[in-house]
Amino acid sequence: MSTDPHILPNNLSSARLPILRIEGLTLHFDGGQTKALNGVDLDVCEGEFVAIVGASGSGKSSLLNVIGTLDIPSSGELFFGAQPYSKIKDTSLFRRENIGFVFQSFNLISTLSALDNVIVPTIGCAGSDHEHKARAESLLIELGLRERMAHFPGKLSGGERQRVAIARALINRPRMVLADEPTGSLDSDNAIQVLDLLTGIVKQQGLTLVMVTHDASVSARADRVVRMRDGKIALPVGAYGDTPELIGGAP
Amino acid sequence: MNLFRFALNNLQRRPARTSLTVSAIALGIAAVVALTSIAWGFEASWQKANDARGTDLIVTRAASENTMPSPFRAEKVQQVLAALPHVKEVVGLLSEMLTVSDDAPPVFVFGWVYSSYLWEHLKLVEGRWPNASAEPVVVIGALAAEMLHKKTGDQVEIEGKSFQVVGIFESNAVVENGALLMTLEQAQQVTDKPGKVNVLNIKVDANTTEADLRNIKEQVKMTLPGFVAITSGELVSQNAVVRISKAMSNATILIAGLVGALVVFNTMLMSINERTREIGILLALGWQRGTIMKLVISESVILSLLGGLVGILVGVGIAWGLEHIELMRGKIDAIFSIPFFLEVQALSIVLGICGGFYPAFKASRLLPSSALRQE
Ligand SMILES: Nc1ncnc2c1ncn2[C@@H]1O[C@H](COP(=O)(O)OP(=O)(O)OP(=O)(O)O)[C@@H](O)[C@H]1O
Ligand SMILES: [Mg+2]
Repeated sequence: MSTDPHILPNNLSSARLPILRIEGLTLHFDGGQTKALNGVDLDVCEGEFVAIVGASGSGKSSLLNVIGTLDIPSSGELFFGAQPYSKIKDTSLFRRENIGFVFQSFNLISTLSALDNVIVPTIGCAGSDHEHKARAESLLIELGLRERMAHFPGKLSGGERQRVAIARALINRPRMVLADEPTGSLDSDNAIQVLDLLTGIVKQQGLTLVMVTHDASVSARADRVVRMRDGKIALPVGAYGDTPELIGGAP
Repeated sequence: MNLFRFALNNLQRRPARTSLTVSAIALGIAAVVALTSIAWGFEASWQKANDARGTDLIVTRAASENTMPSPFRAEKVQQVLAALPHVKEVVGLLSEMLTVSDDAPPVFVFGWVYSSYLWEHLKLVEGRWPNASAEPVVVIGALAAEMLHKKTGDQVEIEGKSFQVVGIFESNAVVENGALLMTLEQAQQVTDKPGKVNVLNIKVDANTTEADLRNIKEQVKMTLPGFVAITSGELVSQNAVVRISKAMSNATILIAGLVGALVVFNTMLMSINERTREIGILLALGWQRGTIMKLVISESVILSLLGGLVGILVGVGIAWGLEHIELMRGKIDAIFSIPFFLEVQALSIVLGICGGFYPAFKASRLLPSSALRQE
């Protein structure tokens, strides 16, 4: 476990507090043979949009999974605000209260309408069915799906499906959205539209966004781009797309 | 959208599997409903017949376990009984299951002491009652009349002897409705059991207390070795047929419960294995492990409740059908009651929870990251 929280310098203004701090994180599979993450240190500030780029197999999804408490790290520690991950008793509750997930393959439930898909994460939460429905509707409207609420995923375009997935990620008011190649299955027009909507809502609500992407035009919009190589952060790279070498990772 | 609707939706995704599972549960429950209602009905219809007659105590051979206890010479026993305190009337009764028509199943033929209190609860709907103890005539129950296609004025042949039907009666006990009734004297003659009865019925006077009844029972035990005085309820519940059918219905409940739970177990295990990835998604979206468990248990219980509901309907149908086949008519009277149906549904819920528990537990224990990697 890392004891030095200052390994990785970052160029953030002192006004912005880290919402996420990762120290010496490793994630091993197959009894240590596969080192998906091999010593990751990273701070993410509240309200920041961080893009994670890197070659296939470099550990991007693994990192997102550990941040989202879907995987348990082999060693190292993470902090959400002041809360160390190792002290979280109920990771489901932690996810419900803090994390919204968006996946590349949408992962909608095909037998439920767009509206019901958005409501699914509220099942088992406090609040009335009516409140959950009203919030889901307003999110879908915000994402331009007013006319599509009753449609089933099979009747929606890729862009529309991903917008439903974004509404679903936001329904429980998370503080941080984790998106794994959210535009990876979309054509460039749809990708831009989805990205605009996602970043718009995230900025407006002051949420933190950590997004894995292969798309240079996506990472160009991030506050900061983090490059991964072989389970580590390669180099701290500057923000605002001044890193043309990243385009090599695009699909 | 809530947990219940989501559970329903999950079941609707696989209509064939869901209906197969429901059918399998329903089959077991139907067997339970049919057998149990008949077993209880059998008991109740005999008790009802005894109660309707206004009999307070029945005296029989102690060792008798048949529906109708074996016959004995009545005279001496009757004298002893009549002398006991509070005993108002002691009347003999003879009963035989006899074939009276080639194209109808056997029916009960009862012989009751002429003009005793036994006859009072019957309602004459046609014709008249026998006029004398020695008159060779019968009155028949409404159901027997229908089954034997007999009406007032017709002849019936019993044990080679011809009797005229002089009246048709109704009783609220199905056993009596399906029976032929004559005077005890005639019954003893035709069955060749002069002076014998199956049971002696005791009617006590109005100011008899529970303690007095217990006292009579005691006295019978002491002064009449080999005989017992019991209430009609006691007589029926000691009956071998009643006991066997109750044991069978209990065994069916056990088997149906086990089979139902196994079917739910199998279905839900299959279902959650198919849905591993989806469960991973739900967990990623912040579903509590407890909510996953509730979802799977809800699906199991919906399956078993549906199975229970269909099973009750089918079971009632089977029991009704059995009641109405010629061979059984007038002999059983299946009992259905709301509490009984609620108990059956409680059994369904229990088997659903038992069958769904392990699949639910397994689903709730999935590691979200590996569940998400499935497919
Ligand atoms: N459950 C697992 N068991 C074994 N190895 C795994 C497991 N999950 C990930 N890995 C391995 O860890 C490494 C990192 O995988 P990860 O999915 O994080 O890469 P990635 O950067 O997201 O790649 P891509 O761009 O292709 O999505 C890979 O070599 C992968 O094979
Ligand atoms: Mg990946």
